[in-house]
Amino acid sequence: MNGIIEILSDTKLDYKQKRAALSSFAENSLPYVDISDKARKYMEDGIICNLNEGNAPYRPRYVLPDYKKYFENGSKYLNIKKPSDMYEAVNALLIIYNYVPSITGYPVYLGNIDELLEPYCDSVSERELENLLKMFLINIDRNLPDAFVHANIGPKDTKVGRIILNLEETLKDAVPNLSLKCSKDTPDDFIKLAIKTSLEIGKAYFINHDELVKVLGENYGIASCYNALKIGGGSFTLVRVNLKEVAKISKDYNDFIERVLPDVINCQCEIINERARFIVEKAKFFESSFLAREELININNFTSMAGIFGLYECVEILSGMKMGFDNIAYEMAENIIKRAYELVKEKEGLYCNGYSGKIGFHAQSGIDSDIDVSAGVRIKTGCEPEIFEQIKLEGKLQKYFDTGVSDIYIFDKTAKNNLEGVLTIIKGAFKNGIREMTINTSDSELIRITGYLVKRSDIEKYEKGEPLREGTVALGADSIKNCGILDRKVRGI
Amino acid sequence: MAYINKIILKTFIDGPGSRMAVFMQGCNLRCKYCHNPETWNLCIHCGECVKNCKKGALFFEDGKVKYNKDLCAKCDVCINVCPNNSTPKYEIMSAGDVYKIAYYNKDFLDGITLSGGECTLQYEFILELFKLIKENTKLTTFIDTNGYIEFDILKKLIDVTDGFMFDLKALNSENHIKLTGYDNEKILKNLEYVSKNGLLYEVRTVLVEGFNDSEDEIEKISEYIYKLNSYTKFKLIPFRPLGVKGELSNMESFDKEKFEKCYNISKKILKSRLKD
Repeated sequence: MNGIIEILSDTKLDYKQKRAALSSFAENSLPYVDISDKARKYMEDGIICNLNEGNAPYRPRYVLPDYKKYFENGSKYLNIKKPSDMYEAVNALLIIYNYVPSITGYPVYLGNIDELLEPYCDSVSERELENLLKMFLINIDRNLPDAFVHANIGPKDTKVGRIILNLEETLKDAVPNLSLKCSKDTPDDFIKLAIKTSLEIGKAYFINHDELVKVLGENYGIASCYNALKIGGGSFTLVRVNLKEVAKISKDYNDFIERVLPDVINCQCEIINERARFIVEKAKFFESSFLAREELININNFTSMAGIFGLYECVEILSGMKMGFDNIAYEMAENIIKRAYELVKEKEGLYCNGYSGKIGFHAQSGIDSDIDVSAGVRIKTGCEPEIFEQIKLEGKLQKYFDTGVSDIYIFDKTAKNNLEGVLTIIKGAFKNGIREMTINTSDSELIRITGYLVKRSDIEKYEKGEPLREGTVALGADSIKNCGILDRKVRGI
Repeated sequence: MAYINKIILKTFIDGPGSRMAVFMQGCNLRCKYCHNPETWNLCIHCGECVKNCKKGALFFEDGKVKYNKDLCAKCDVCINVCPNNSTPKYEIMSAGDVYKIAYYNKDFLDGITLSGGECTLQYEFILELFKLIKENTKLTTFIDTNGYIEFDILKKLIDVTDGFMFDLKALNSENHIKLTGYDNEKILKNLEYVSKNGLLYEVRTVLVEGFNDSEDEIEKISEYIYKLNSYTKFKLIPFRPLGVKGELSNMESFDKEKFEKCYNISKKILKSRLKD
């Protein structure tokens, strides 16, 4: 009961955050889903971590509703008809967002919003269009105050996409997180507009669309931090392995590869499958969700995600060398990732119908409580090599991740006057295997923590103990302290 | 082989797009405001830097000063104490060496820019390098020059160069002599020739108080560029004392308000052709 009192009296939490914390508390009063003692031990030792998903999951972690279908058919459950103009379209989206389940309680995927809204442009004047989109974005930031709430635009050039990028630059809000899908058909000046926005506010992500289509087909979305998943589906769970900790309990590299890593990943997949089973069979999610009933999601598009992080430290422990500076370290890094990928793919993923029965592989971006361990496969912040070298090395690793991986490149302010140059670097990165990346400048008001953004000024408020709308600010502030986020190398002249 | 002061793998300010910049050792002007006077001369192996290097990164071998990069603390004491306006840290590289670096990073680059010092003093190297670049990549080739070049050499360079950036110290000949020690007649002739060939990407002028910052000079230089052609961009750069040696080393940074005034004078004439 003390836990409940603690939540109720926490002055850093507002009403909604307390309600969410209470619901987690209730869920966690149940025992953890049925897993082996060995798997439980790995969790207790911090080798496997399920990212605060809770003991008894009653909804998938990531849900990507098919908003296109929602626009075509409307929704009986929501009593929403097929939209006939821009007002109804925006309204329909803002309504359904409140009904999309996730771990945080906020929708992690808002749809390919420019593609969805573009057909309604002619129903309003230019001025109305801009005003509506502005209200749409402000509404999302204020009502869904969670930086994992993620909208997509592109790859086609759209009027709506361009207006959104311009508005985002002026609004400077952390929410929504934003991704631009870039294909060979995306016009350069559309990407350059996104670069301009990114150099001011750290979003959008740049997504190598052509590459992801090869992995997931056309029908994919970027959700939460940078998770690539099928639309009309999602992921039941994300359970991650701390490679640094795995290295620590291995005798040497061979022991790591042959004995310890297979054992840990075996347990990781066991946990993942038990969590998926619980959602489907025990909580009967698909039987109770109107999204499933109205076929806005379908279990056949779902998967689960096996994440890894701490590769940099893992390699450091096993080889005594540093990724980014020693070729041998990098060869080792790629071998470890390849091995982990193969181990995950050997296992059957329960209800992972969207990935041919396999669990998705994910480079997890780290959380606030991670101390001295690097996100995903990234090189430790502050220790990055020269930028082109970093991109080439990361590009070799990104190809193994089919449900999300990303890196962050920080430029100095001279980039703002040379969008063409940044475009060349992004295209070069795609050519060298980068699937997802983001850019920012060192003086930006919004700071990209690992996959999401927080405002510099909000972090200062949080430090002073002021209650804030966005729970992610707290995560961000602690990440900055624990993970050296602000030490990222600036790419200067 | 050429004397290379420094290579920067990525720059956004030395021409269009993302570029690799190669700064070459040696210069034929002696601008009072030069921010990199250590690029003027080749090393005469006097050893003053060796005496002052606290990390042991500099030493004598066969009577010549040698440099061990791995021990260097990048404190730049060697540059500050050099009585000869040089540096012990420049390298001797072949066109093939520099080409290999550009080729390795070609996916991330729009082009390569040679700068200095005065890079055209080593024009044979540039011809060889640019030829390699042109034959094997899609990268563009740019030269950043003070324009004090023999006309015949310029003509050869034009064949392999996609764009030139000229540092025009002053339009008024007297001002030019005061700032650099040389008349600008040859420079202007070269600049006009490059302009006629459609290759004058940018002209840059560093504003130095009392030397080239009069309203008259700004107006004339802007009008001169305006009439040259319809495409060349102009960039005004405020003087900063960083790196400057000699007479102007104690001069303060160019006044912000004054700079704005100069900028506005030029903006009226050149409009969007004046760079921010």
